[in-house]
Amino acid sequence: MEASTPNLSRRGFLRGSAAAGIAIKVSLLRGTPAEARLVEAAPGPGWIAGGKPRTRLDAVAKVTGAKTFTRDYRARDIAGWPDIQAHAFLIAATKADRRFEGLDLSSFGEGLQPDRLVLHEDLVKDGLAVPPHPDFFGDRFLVPAGETPRLLGQPVALLIYHDYPRYAAAKRAVRFNEDVVRYGETTAYATPAHYGATRWVRIEGDGPEGDDRFSPYRDAPIFSGFKGDEPAWPAAGTDGPFARGMAAADAIAAEIAAAGDDALVLKRSYVSQSVDASAMEADNGNVWYDADTGTLHLMMATQGPYEVAEQAAALVKASRFPVSAIDLKAGTTVGYGTKDHHLHPLLCILAGLYGGGRPVRLANDRFEQFQNGLKRHSFTMDTTLMIDRASGRFRAMTGRYVCDGGGRPNFSMSVSFVGATAAQSIYYLPKSDFQAVALASRAVEAGSTRGYGTLQTMSATEMLVDEAAELLGRDAIELRLANVFRSGQRNSQGAVPAGALRNDEILEKAAAHPLWRERQAKKAAFEAKNPGKRYGVGFAQVHKDYGTGAEAALASLEIDPQGRLTLRHVAHEMGPGVTTSQAVMVGEILGRVPETTEFGVVRWPQMPLETEDQPYTTPQADEDRLSKNPRWTPRFTSPMSATNSAYYLGHATRSAARILRDHALWPAARSLWGRGFGGGSLASYHTMRADELRLADGKVSGAGLPPLTLEAVAAEAQRLGLPVGVTLHTFNRWQWTEGEFELPGTGRTRLPIDALALRYGAGASAERQALMTTGGWHFVERSAVFYPPTQRNNVGTTYYAPMATLAEVAVDTGSGTVTILSHHSILECGRQIVPELVSGQIQGGLAMGIGHALKEFLPLYEGGPGDGTWNWNRYELPRSKDVAVWNQTVEILPPLSETDPPKGIAEVVMIAVVPALANAVAHAIGHRFHSLPIRPEHIREVLA
Amino acid sequence: MTALPKSENLSLTVNGKPVAMPVPQGVSMQEFLHEWLGLTGARMGCGQGICNACTVMVEEPGKLPREVRTCITGAHWFEGKTIRTVEGHARQNADGSLTLSPVQQAFVEGFAFQCGYCTPGFVTAATVLIERLKAAPVPREAVERVVTEALDPHICRCTGYVRYHAAVRDLVLATPGLVTA
Repeated sequence: MEASTPNLSRRGFLRGSAAAGIAIKVSLLRGTPAEARLVEAAPGPGWIAGGKPRTRLDAVAKVTGAKTFTRDYRARDIAGWPDIQAHAFLIAATKADRRFEGLDLSSFGEGLQPDRLVLHEDLVKDGLAVPPHPDFFGDRFLVPAGETPRLLGQPVALLIYHDYPRYAAAKRAVRFNEDVVRYGETTAYATPAHYGATRWVRIEGDGPEGDDRFSPYRDAPIFSGFKGDEPAWPAAGTDGPFARGMAAADAIAAEIAAAGDDALVLKRSYVSQSVDASAMEADNGNVWYDADTGTLHLMMATQGPYEVAEQAAALVKASRFPVSAIDLKAGTTVGYGTKDHHLHPLLCILAGLYGGGRPVRLANDRFEQFQNGLKRHSFTMDTTLMIDRASGRFRAMTGRYVCDGGGRPNFSMSVSFVGATAAQSIYYLPKSDFQAVALASRAVEAGSTRGYGTLQTMSATEMLVDEAAELLGRDAIELRLANVFRSGQRNSQGAVPAGALRNDEILEKAAAHPLWRERQAKKAAFEAKNPGKRYGVGFAQVHKDYGTGAEAALASLEIDPQGRLTLRHVAHEMGPGVTTSQAVMVGEILGRVPETTEFGVVRWPQMPLETEDQPYTTPQADEDRLSKNPRWTPRFTSPMSATNSAYYLGHATRSAARILRDHALWPAARSLWGRGFGGGSLASYHTMRADELRLADGKVSGAGLPPLTLEAVAAEAQRLGLPVGVTLHTFNRWQWTEGEFELPGTGRTRLPIDALALRYGAGASAERQALMTTGGWHFVERSAVFYPPTQRNNVGTTYYAPMATLAEVAVDTGSGTVTILSHHSILECGRQIVPELVSGQIQGGLAMGIGHALKEFLPLYEGGPGDGTWNWNRYELPRSKDVAVWNQTVEILPPLSETDPPKGIAEVVMIAVVPALANAVAHAIGHRFHSLPIRPEHIREVLA
Repeated sequence: MTALPKSENLSLTVNGKPVAMPVPQGVSMQEFLHEWLGLTGARMGCGQGICNACTVMVEEPGKLPREVRTCITGAHWFEGKTIRTVEGHARQNADGSLTLSPVQQAFVEGFAFQCGYCTPGFVTAATVLIERLKAAPVPREAVERVVTEALDPHICRCTGYVRYHAAVRDLVLATPGLVTA
């Protein structure tokens, strides 16, 4: 392994250590216990029936309109806050080619002048700069007077009102008012430098499973700077991985250029548009700066409360506002990624700091959300696929994937290479060269949004392969099967994916489906019966990574003497049902769901861990040194993002349940079974193994022994002083970390975790009791730890979940309207935890993909969302009539075994339908669109 | 030049309780519910009457309930009217527990929603539909069509609509009197 490269993370955000000296407390919003129960019900007896939950835990709160979202809360609703509420809004620049000269608020009249007007110059004077460094959120919150905005929609001023009526009236006055912001002379654009370029080149060695000649994992991805708007790739050569990688890229290009008649070389360019994820809850926050106590109170809609709290600490560190404590509360929220590392919380904090002791609420309306909310990146993609005509096998693929990140860096660079590394889709490629280029522009900032670059690139590949099949005269699914990526083969980074790849099973099912088999006959019949309409069926299949390559989590599980379980977890709810599914996982292992659950837990006094939170960039030698500290971990916890709940966060829950089973319930049950004369009923069955233990329906049984109640076993565990409480920390770098721990009474034990704390039952010896000194727990310092090598950072991903969609459409040749008649999807998600939640995710993902394929569009620059005039009246979202609500079906592959882990599916479910619809339209009208969305006006133009 | 808004008295009945207070002109019903009454269930989605996350039921004696968008309707338009917000659909029992309305119960049992932000609008629309069908049942084969017509104005970004629609369809089919023989 040669020297590595800059930040290779999917979400390589470098968190500052500026929090030093500021106490940070983060919690899910809960006032009284009664209020807490309104938001999230306890699972309780009867919640599970036949192994399935009857409802979501948050169902009643949500269906009764209880205050569950951050947006629902005013200061008066939050315990300990003053009963007053100020409100703020931003005024934004709608031009990015003129100097900002100042504001003209004369149209407001005297009565509507703000109680506090905050400009860039105020922030400078008060020591408030964008944290933690300018290469994530940009260099300025507000546009300085006399300067040109970095991007369309960049705020120029923050206006604070102490009462709602004047705030609301002023906001109405400023909307669409082009006279409020004064501009000066026309200038060049003031966009930041481009965000980065990487190149992922692989040439196989001895076949798909052999050692690669060159690959990012074996060697390195290639990084470059820019010359103008073009990446300045290193020169090819033999010295160093970049030069050798470029030589490999040149070899692939030369082979394609020299292709003879025996190969089809298909070159196509694609465009995927900028999209607003349109989470129903727009960005918002409420901040109270209590100068008397030096406490910054935050109520934030965010997917990453930890990050926001740390950024808040970094923001105020050098300011004139003394802060000794940050108290962040987070309600339920929804963002589809767009509330992960977004700027809005920091703008809310600015508002709070200037509130004069009043809590200040900054809540986007929909126009503002379009203007400043994170967007899904627009991509332009130039692809080339070389196919052996005789065999139909892919020989090589290249692609140049350029995303427009807008005017702040955010995650654009990682979005670009996550997209590029996904471009191979479900195919094995002997040779590949994928360029990932993240450009800066004056567009509204793009960032983490459901799909994370892969929707764009895999959609292009699936359109490309479909067209290739047509040109080769082959069945499109048969061509896919000929090239399908199989278990044990290497991906375009040179890594072998986790577990079994079942893309071939899905393809075979799709090929046999009536929608596919009968498509030509149905086309003829439909078009004969419906003059003016064209019928088409399209297919696409993708598989999507989940996780970030640095997934960390904490969970705690305890059992009391009555057998009641308490689960505490760092995860918090974003909508998909994580709180419900984590509770179900406990039930699957322990035969009883927790009576008490607490999510979004951030105070872990029993886990005194230390971290630099640089999991992607710490060199191997440094990590080897740091990990000798038994309290060190590469990362403390991850945001709720990247489809990480079922597999990664669930690993913490499942591990805690298994440790409790193996080290408390199993020995306690043996103790009870061994009671009585001559060793009791266990004596003749003393060879019973731990894997024969059965926990179900509150009973403990197995191997022919008399069933015990969980209560009795729990009481025995308590009496014996066994570990009845387990808190643990997990870390995954495309592979789980393992640690070895000296467990009292058990000895050295290897577990799939890197930190552990135990709480012993009341009957524990005084010696064992004395160990519980860390927040009332015994923090078991690990004896050894095995972090996945840092080289794993180069693999891009190894965890995939696949889905295919068949879409049946009718195209109206007069209006150009595409009507989805039906669709059928096939998903492989490992073992489902709560099937109802899985099906909801699939249906929701499909609807979002339909919007991307056929409806949603934002101009990037002038006339786009930065101008503050966009809302859902002109940005068309899919409604129920658009998604074939009564005519959609899903098949989920059964797991290969009952021990298959669940896979993350929140993103993959929205992707396949996008190219499937494009391919269906092509089947219907004989024209292949290469730019999304495919709207009626585009179809009319083609058919005219 | 924009003037400071003047206030006028507003009297109406919200979830069975009389409400009367001065409210500035120009304030939308949604703002009034959120900022004056603390009832945030009628949610802000678009502010343009597009997504219908903000709807409430207007109930008038002798008439079927109507669904009204509060984000584009001024608070003073509701003078003298009786409305039911999503917070007023479940019945609070003497012991503090809640009995959900049939629509709410159907959504809960059907895992109909995910983030739940749009749920209040769907509760309102489905309840209005059920009341309409009590007065004018439809043939069984028309149920899916009328459910779609009733719910289609509501935007949901999480669920893809399927479980909302299926829950209402199943409720209609299971409730005596809503479907003709």
